[in-house]
Amino acid sequence: MAEASGHAVEEGTESRRSFLKILTVSAGAVGLGAVVWPLISALTPDADSLAAAHLIVNVSGIAENTAISVTWGGLPIYIRKLTAQEIADAQAVIPSTLPDPADFTDRVKPGYESFVVVVGLNTGAPCELEGNAPSDTRGPFGGWLCPCDGSVYDPLGRVRGGPARKNLAIPRFVFLNDAQIQFG
Amino acid sequence: MSTDAKTCPVEAQLPCLAHLRAEYCAPSLAPGAPYLAALPALITGALLFLAASGLVLAVHYDPAHGFASLQYIAHNVNNGWLVRGFHATGTTLVFGAVFLLLFRSLYTRAYRAPGQLAWLISVKLFAFLLLTAYLGYVLTDGAVSYWSLTDAANAAQSLTGIPGLLGTWFFGGPAGPGTLARLLVFHAILALGAVALVFALRSAAKVLAPKATGADAVSFHPAYTAQYFAAFAVFALIFALLVFFAPHFGQNPLNASAANPLIIPAALTPPWYLRPVSAIASVFPGAYGGIFGVIAALAVLAATPWLDRSGPHGRPGTLYRILTVLLALDVLGLGLAYSCPSALSSILVTVTTVWYFLHFLVLTPLVTSLEAE
Amino acid sequence: MRRILTPLLAAGLLLAPAAHAENTLTPLHFQSQGPLGSLDIAAAQRGFLVYQSVCSGCHSLNALHYRDLEALGFTPDQAAGIASGIKLPDGTAATLDDTFKAPNLPAATFGGALPPDLSDITAERPHGLHYLFAYLTGFATAPADVTLLPGHYYNTAYPGNQPAMPPALKGNDVTYADGTVATTPQEAADVTTFLSWAADPNLTARHQIGLRAVIFLVFLTILAIATKRKIWREKA
Repeated sequence: MAEASGHAVEEGTESRRSFLKILTVSAGAVGLGAVVWPLISALTPDADSLAAAHLIVNVSGIAENTAISVTWGGLPIYIRKLTAQEIADAQAVIPSTLPDPADFTDRVKPGYESFVVVVGLNTGAPCELEGNAPSDTRGPFGGWLCPCDGSVYDPLGRVRGGPARKNLAIPRFVFLNDAQIQFG
Repeated sequence: MSTDAKTCPVEAQLPCLAHLRAEYCAPSLAPGAPYLAALPALITGALLFLAASGLVLAVHYDPAHGFASLQYIAHNVNNGWLVRGFHATGTTLVFGAVFLLLFRSLYTRAYRAPGQLAWLISVKLFAFLLLTAYLGYVLTDGAVSYWSLTDAANAAQSLTGIPGLLGTWFFGGPAGPGTLARLLVFHAILALGAVALVFALRSAAKVLAPKATGADAVSFHPAYTAQYFAAFAVFALIFALLVFFAPHFGQNPLNASAANPLIIPAALTPPWYLRPVSAIASVFPGAYGGIFGVIAALAVLAATPWLDRSGPHGRPGTLYRILTVLLALDVLGLGLAYSCPSALSSILVTVTTVWYFLHFLVLTPLVTSLEAE
Repeated sequence: MRRILTPLLAAGLLLAPAAHAENTLTPLHFQSQGPLGSLDIAAAQRGFLVYQSVCSGCHSLNALHYRDLEALGFTPDQAAGIASGIKLPDGTAATLDDTFKAPNLPAATFGGALPPDLSDITAERPHGLHYLFAYLTGFATAPADVTLLPGHYYNTAYPGNQPAMPPALKGNDVTYADGTVATTPQEAADVTTFLSWAADPNLTARHQIGLRAVIFLVFLTILAIATKRKIWREKA
């Protein structure tokens, strides 16, 4: 009887000791994690990087038939305001006749059909496009022209001729309201 | 703890793991070592922590606009203020531990054979850390450190011979736009060198640890692992008290302003860990005085094993212990006197410097040969 | 000015139940002093109004962005409203992500002694909080034995007593939304609180985290020493 209780006491001490050890080691691990966490979090994007990643552009000042160029993600982004005639002409085009078929509704956001937002780089030989100002050469379709390989685009950024085979890329963006676009 | 005699397949392919297990799990150490024996391990941990926080700071630091980029880190980087505090307070703790290590080695006379190399490595580590800390101080691009750098780089230009060559090579010419970028790289390299030195120190310290065999012997794990963990906990407590409640401990507030080539601040006081050596350097006159002072101070410190005239055995006598405590108070006085420039403080700096050299060159041989067995 | 005052007025009305600054002037003490100090948000908001109305004409605050005002108790909309009332040099209105607008003073202003940036001013002067209060309330007429340099003014706290800065706070320079009387010492104390926040925006968080960290580490130290003693007793 005494032997059994003695044995039980020894086992009790052992589990107490290992409980203490486990508690100490886990508390130490918690402390280590708490110290390492600020170092990791300091390498996450700060407020300025996040602001640049979710750039907000004011589009209310763009005149019809003109485009502005902003830089986002290292890329030139062209934002163009279409005239009513250009919208009607674009809607009349049959997509299957295009080198890279795309419908009018694929190229503009619903509710904001007069704005076209595209990445201003030629999809053929990489090169910045011309055609933002009304006085620039825009090619036969009145959109953009690539000065490097001669590819031409229409006002919606769809490729119409030249070596390029794909439409201009559309970046990720939303309209916050009538006047502001937010990228990202 | 597995005690199987079979070779673990991982250890068969990675022998260093087998060596670690042999070293830390074999019973070869005497029990009862004091807590302060953990100091080299504490210094290692603190240096690795400084390396991690320094790495994060270096990601955001811009040598062309040092002060502005540090302000950006403190205000805009997520937890940047805390990382900067980690780096500054970590430096304070490393130097506190190194001063304590040097004092303890002097007090217990651990520098005698077979501990001479361990002592020399300690002093060399101290020297490396001083230079690393000076470069870190300069990298803050504050009003005071800017002038310290300008003076040092321009002085290096005016030296001749070998010191001139070394100085011009180190600073790359007079202080200019590219200097901080270069010193950032040197800061990182010297810090890595300090880490290497502290590993060498731990290796040398193992020789000095009392050994035992048989039933008395303990293995490092778990006896000393537990003790070192407790030492780290106390170290971390002191660190937390400083970083959260006194983040500018020992810094000159005038250095919180941006570098200004048109205004020289009133008091060019460096951070507290650089003050004793700066004070000694300021006592020696002439163009070479500063360098001579620093080298002389470190040289007499390193020469202690040979200045100690007592035999290789025997405990240090009472007089020697009192002398060592006096030295510690002297170094404290050096730092305090250099903190508040005034007419009285320059006298105090001279007196404490003279006592420092007196202690090593005259008193140590005298007292130790008196107390020799 | 109205664009700034309206959101501040709204914020003031939100704080109205706790309004009318408690007396921090006699004796002078700041809520952020001491190891467990925290930011007095109401005072910091009043101080921001003083800075914006009086000091921002000459002093820049380059380390702050308008989005940082959210830490002073403004909602993002209120902060955006404050920012939009400020006109940047290129003519556009400021946004939350812009740095505080810097005054564009010619280099020859004040005889070449350009007003310093105030982002870290309380950290740059020894005993910054009390020094700043003493400086702002320390402008006085020069005593008879002091000759003022041309373009300089007399101040009891400034080292050398002759800053090139003219006295800025004259009392009632602003109207506080929460009804506090805008005496010169009150304005000085409030703008000092604001500037101490600008220099150390994380003071409250630092003290909070610090208290928890120290308690945890004391607990960890006790645990670690207990474990060590237990292991050593068993080895002996």
